[in-house]
Amino acid sequence: MPNGQPDLLTGVGDVDAAEVKALARRVTLAPGDVLFNLGDAADSLYIVERGRVALSLPMQVRGRVEDVQIEERMPGQALGWSALIPPHRFTLKATAPLTTDVLALARAALLEHFAARPALGYAVALNVAAIVGQRLQVFQAMWLREIQRVVQMSRG
Amino acid sequence: MEMLLMVAAMSLFGVAVSGILFAAATRSEGEPVRQPEARPAERPVLAAPGFFVDERVIQARPGIPIEALLLQIERHVALEQAAAESFLHAPTSQSLHSHTLSPLVH
Repeated sequence: MPNGQPDLLTGVGDVDAAEVKALARRVTLAPGDVLFNLGDAADSLYIVERGRVALSLPMQVRGRVEDVQIEERMPGQALGWSALIPPHRFTLKATAPLTTDVLALARAALLEHFAARPALGYAVALNVAAIVGQRLQVFQAMWLREIQRVVQMSRG
Repeated sequence: MEMLLMVAAMSLFGVAVSGILFAAATRSEGEPVRQPEARPAERPVLAAPGFFVDERVIQARPGIPIEALLLQIERHVALEQAAAESFLHAPTSQSLHSHTLSPLVH
């Protein structure tokens, strides 16, 4: 992680952050490896440690289904928050475009750890809410821009 | 007398033939004129709008290789995302609907 704590652990003390990281399992992905597929059961949350993770959605292009990249996660950024939010299914596909290391945090281990340390759980929950909220606001604005174009097209 | 009857018969036959021909020639005048129906392919089609990327724009670029088209779509999404993030930093109506350089919109 280049600058301090990952976004999931913003505002968390070094000791607490180290304990959370100690729960994680490091996964190394080769270029082209799939971390998870759309619709997979989401049992782990991930933090990118090195490399990049591309997030994509399937799209029909000329009669073929193609994965279109819609976001990218860099070192220090979390992905896979569906692991903490029901129905615990990934809504995107995650692949590594280059050699990448991620920390995989299993939901069961995290929740057990937070149950014993509510203040830490609260801080991490706020960080997850910030990540989810930011994505929601970005996509809401993108959706509004698209609706505006549809309105302009319907006027001719 | 026979000649007279023959001429009369020929005249009646001629009148009958003329009447039949006249009726045949004028039969269609009273019927309504049918306009040929437009074939389904000729009717204007209202395409459903796509989300983020207009499918009609994609279909209208047959000469572009699919790899290049996918790059254009991903660039379009990235530009839209950047525009949306810019709006979140300074939320105004102008920044929400700012111009895009994406070739998929123009």
